[in-house]
Amino acid sequence: MAEISKLATIERGAKIADDVKIGPFTYIGPHVRIGAGCVIEGNVTITGKTILGERNRVFPLAVIGTSEGKGGEEGEVVIGVANSIREHATIYGGTSEAPTRIGDDNLVMIGCHIGAGAKLGNHGILINSTLIGAGAVLEDYVHTSGFIVIDPGVHVGAYTFTLGYTEINRDAPPYAMVQGTPFRVRGVNTEKLRRCGFGDSSIKALKSAFHEIYNSSGEGVDAAVLQRLLAQEDCDLHVQRLVQSVQKSLIK
Amino acid sequence: MKSLTVLREIDPSARVAPSAVIGAYCVIGPHVTIGPDTVLHRRVCVTGHTIIGQGNYIGEGCVLGAIPQDLKYAGGVTLLVIGHRNRFGRNVTAHVGTESGGYLTRIGDGNYLMDGCHIGHDSFIDDRTTLGRGVLLAGHIRVHDGAILDDMSAVLQFCTIGQYSRVDRRVPVRRDVPPYTIFGPKGDETTPTVAGINDQGIKTARLSAQDEKELRGALADLFYNEAALATKIEQLVNLGVEGEVADLCAFCSRSLKGTYGRHREIYRGEIPPEFEQFMPGEWKAVIRRALA
Repeated sequence: MAEISKLATIERGAKIADDVKIGPFTYIGPHVRIGAGCVIEGNVTITGKTILGERNRVFPLAVIGTSEGKGGEEGEVVIGVANSIREHATIYGGTSEAPTRIGDDNLVMIGCHIGAGAKLGNHGILINSTLIGAGAVLEDYVHTSGFIVIDPGVHVGAYTFTLGYTEINRDAPPYAMVQGTPFRVRGVNTEKLRRCGFGDSSIKALKSAFHEIYNSSGEGVDAAVLQRLLAQEDCDLHVQRLVQSVQKSLIK
Repeated sequence: MKSLTVLREIDPSARVAPSAVIGAYCVIGPHVTIGPDTVLHRRVCVTGHTIIGQGNYIGEGCVLGAIPQDLKYAGGVTLLVIGHRNRFGRNVTAHVGTESGGYLTRIGDGNYLMDGCHIGHDSFIDDRTTLGRGVLLAGHIRVHDGAILDDMSAVLQFCTIGQYSRVDRRVPVRRDVPPYTIFGPKGDETTPTVAGINDQGIKTARLSAQDEKELRGALADLFYNEAALATKIEQLVNLGVEGEVADLCAFCSRSLKGTYGRHREIYRGEIPPEFEQFMPGEWKAVIRRALA
């Protein structure tokens, strides 16, 4: 049996699974679907065509699914399973062609903003006050720091760590540690890779690949270098992924 | 002032003083204690084992005592203790402690936390500090008396902010900030460092004329060239300093020995010494039993 506070407002039409907890003064809009095991605390607003998967936890004063107020269309948000959406986070709804998507097992910390149509992978950690612009794409295991700005439409590669106050104004490669306004590549995110079970050989290969691709100031990507790295016979799988990702952002 | 509204949810087992004012749409959890004359504005959510003292003013949309943003936290009983006469702006968040970090987050007396501040788990804020808008304190931080953190500064885990120091705006603090200094960008350096003496802080500390003179001399001597800090401390200690200057030397040498210039790193994964001092008496026994 769902535990819904008498002081919560649930619009007719909202689909709420059996064992969901909803706190007082929370508003659930008419087109919202909430999966089993979700805990929605007090003073939360969930509107738009929002689908929450199972076992998500939404903390007080978070706002999910509001549209930016263009044309009165209801925004769409699709959220996976076991995410934690902390206090004061705002997640805007995308269009029906490009809904805002959040994968599984993410931690969206206090005061984060996820713009309309942004896509978040799995196992991401967004530290307090991370601002993600509309249509940006974050792959799996991305880890941000405080006060990060990710510009609309940019692509952040998997396993990348961004240091505090960084502005991501163009595509960021995977496996990297990035810093600065605008950002520069500072090296390989070795700690995260180790924690995720990467072998020493892969980390070593990635380190030398980063060394070849970027100069000491973390800039200057050369297409010829990328070609040469890909052509190597014993090219590591992760290096391949890195090179392909960098090539893609060069074409853009 | 009696609030006329009835739209608020106070758990029957919460202990709320009769003179406390609870605004509209507030949510007060079952293990919460709120002292006399404390004012909670609209939409304040207080959950967890949270003890709020007397005469506090808590602005709209504050969330106090939510579970920590720590992946290791397993749901144990941990506390958030807020002292007396603090002023919180809007959307301030403070979390309870974690089991591995000392079970306690503490905010002392007479602090001013401006809009959007975040106090992470297991942090200790002493008295009369000022935190600007959007200041982020990660976990396990100690902010000493009278420190000022300017707007949007962010402090990394296990840092210590010395007494009457000042952190400039938009500055990431990655190591300990010595007492009575200004911490921020200096010249062309990109890494923030000790950028000067905090005159305002020294004034607020109301030192005697002799103490102030000695302190200023020591600060100028120590931080003229930070690369030579260790030898300078040694020289000063050999001269036989005392009072504020001795405390300053002790602080700096502790920080120098700590990992990444952070003295509190030695408390990683264990109960910090502040537990004895700050943990409310009735909870000490409960937590010791849980630890045993």
